[in-house]
Amino acid sequence: MKLGNGLRVAAICAATLAVGDSAMAHHSTAMFEWGTEKTLSGTIERYEWTQPHTFIWLTVPGKQGKTREWGLEGMSPSWLGRRGWSLHSLSVGDKVAIVYYPLKDGRPGGFYVRVTGPDGKTLEALPTRNQR
Amino acid sequence: MRRTVVPVAWVTAICAALLSACGAQSVSTAPSPAPSPAAAAASEASNPYAMLAKLPDWGGVWDVTFRPPQPGEAAAPAPKFTPPYQKQWDKYQALNKKQPGLNFVSEVASCIPPGVPQSMTQPYPIEFLFTPGRVTILIETEGLTRRIYTDGSPPPENPDPSFQGTSVGHWENDTLVVETSAILPQTSPVNGINGHSDKLHVTERIHLVDPNTLEITTTRVDPAVFVEPYTTKAYYKRHRDWKIMEYVCEQNNHDALDANGNAAFSLKHKPGG
Repeated sequence: MKLGNGLRVAAICAATLAVGDSAMAHHSTAMFEWGTEKTLSGTIERYEWTQPHTFIWLTVPGKQGKTREWGLEGMSPSWLGRRGWSLHSLSVGDKVAIVYYPLKDGRPGGFYVRVTGPDGKTLEALPTRNQR
Repeated sequence: MRRTVVPVAWVTAICAALLSACGAQSVSTAPSPAPSPAAAAASEASNPYAMLAKLPDWGGVWDVTFRPPQPGEAAAPAPKFTPPYQKQWDKYQALNKKQPGLNFVSEVASCIPPGVPQSMTQPYPIEFLFTPGRVTILIETEGLTRRIYTDGSPPPENPDPSFQGTSVGHWENDTLVVETSAILPQTSPVNGINGHSDKLHVTERIHLVDPNTLEITTTRVDPAVFVEPYTTKAYYKRHRDWKIMEYVCEQNNHDALDANGNAAFSLKHKPGG
């Protein structure tokens, strides 16, 4: 079934009204530029498989050999765990490329959308169009 | 010592097994193939668990879904609010217009649990347990529990308000009807609105619309908030292979609201991280 754009938007609006914003996370996404994809490459410093959100702490190379720590929040272990992720999906020292939605205030943080690991495999970390 | 005790225990167990087997046999060879209503009532009186066989199969775990209205189904109408709550709603809608998506700021971000009915539409699954005279809903988010008494006893008088409120329920064929009141007034009755009066009453009608889809129709009544009862529908997909997981919100929460009650994000490492 192919819905026209207008109809799709109407359907999504109606569904949002029925189910509500809570169908994503336990909090508002007002602090992120939600939907604006940016890319970041670095080394996994910590991977926190925790509630209510997972967290990737990434060491990102900067100018003159300096590094900067980035903090990227993601969906919960329960949500990700049901969709192909595990505690072992990422390991300390892995070199990864991360697509994320940045913080609005410019601090080095955001919400991770998908992660490409050292083996070149990409794991999706948010519902794609056809999921749910 | 051990040598004498074990055989005695075995003899006792074998006798018990034989006795219960004899009992089962006498029931299975009873002349009437269909038990009379009186016999059924007697069976339920002796074994309250017998009533569970009449209930629908809601086994597995249920995940709220994104389901557009089906042909012939009306889309959810916008709520009609009293003036103070209309103001809150308009502010929320303006935010949604500016940035579509998740703009609802609530204390849930600070690990304060959602109350009924919002606890039922979190992005994590729920499960139902049936025991005699009670339905228990286990909600993965915050590890919440709802106890719905279906034994016909009246709700308690003046219960203390709580996040999940006080619920009684009854079965209308395969539909569970749940009536909930005494919900903490600090909770959200609908996305976009924080707070309600102590009069909020929520009715939920829960039933299967196909073998693996559960529909929950939720009606909120609170004259302080809504000009008329406000009803929404949510749909849940069954996952027989999922298990409810532990959810401890305080473990590693970086999203607690700031001192002004606005959405915030901490980049400090947490002890539980």
